[in-house]
Amino acid sequence: MSTDVRSILVRAARDEARRDGSRTIEAEHVLLALAGMRESSAAQLLTEEGLSEEAIRTALNREWEQSLAVAGIAVRMGLLPEATPDRGHDPHIGESTKLLLKRAMDAPPKLGPGRIGPMRILVGLLDTDRGRVARTLDAAGVDRATLHTKAREALASGNR
Amino acid sequence: MTELVDPEDPAAGLAAVVALRRLADRLEDSQVERAMRSGWSWSEVAEVLGVTRQAVHKKHARRLLAAGVALRRR
Repeated sequence: MSTDVRSILVRAARDEARRDGSRTIEAEHVLLALAGMRESSAAQLLTEEGLSEEAIRTALNREWEQSLAVAGIAVRMGLLPEATPDRGHDPHIGESTKLLLKRAMDAPPKLGPGRIGPMRILVGLLDTDRGRVARTLDAAGVDRATLHTKAREALASGNR
Repeated sequence: MTELVDPEDPAAGLAAVVALRRLADRLEDSQVERAMRSGWSWSEVAEVLGVTRQAVHKKHARRLLAAGVALRRR
């Protein structure tokens, strides 16, 4: 595997964003891309917590439904009309992705050149109580604090 | 699965804003597509959405062409 997974991950996350009809790559797209890198320890850690790609998609829809319900809107995601995705569109990096990348880079141990990996990205993703990923993991009934601790420990013990 | 709904909680209220934007985007993409497949013109779609014809064209034309929708000139 490449020593720097950012390019692989951003490409997969961009595909997720496109599929989602999103004009930007957000943290939830990175989470899905990460879960899709099945050979990585980060994806395996997610799976141990019940977070397969499929489970994440289900939880994302549930978070969406529940957040709409706050505004009094009852929507069943399966019944929403579909739009053909824009395959020619290149979604750019959204603010939530910029934040998670910054958090990933800042996480200990100090980052050497070109050595960012999936586990570090996962640590960056989990390093917040705000935003759609945190709410989605809550909706899935995942203990985010424990998952974050496990990811940090894996990163600290040399698992990139 | 856990319930996230608490109308007193600003986190839930702000998440609702994000969710509504997503819903509006999804509806716009699907309904513009539906209208154009039904033979509407860009001008008609633009009038209903309250934006310029250029704006709606710029936002949706490439996607709909790629999706094989036969687009009217006006």
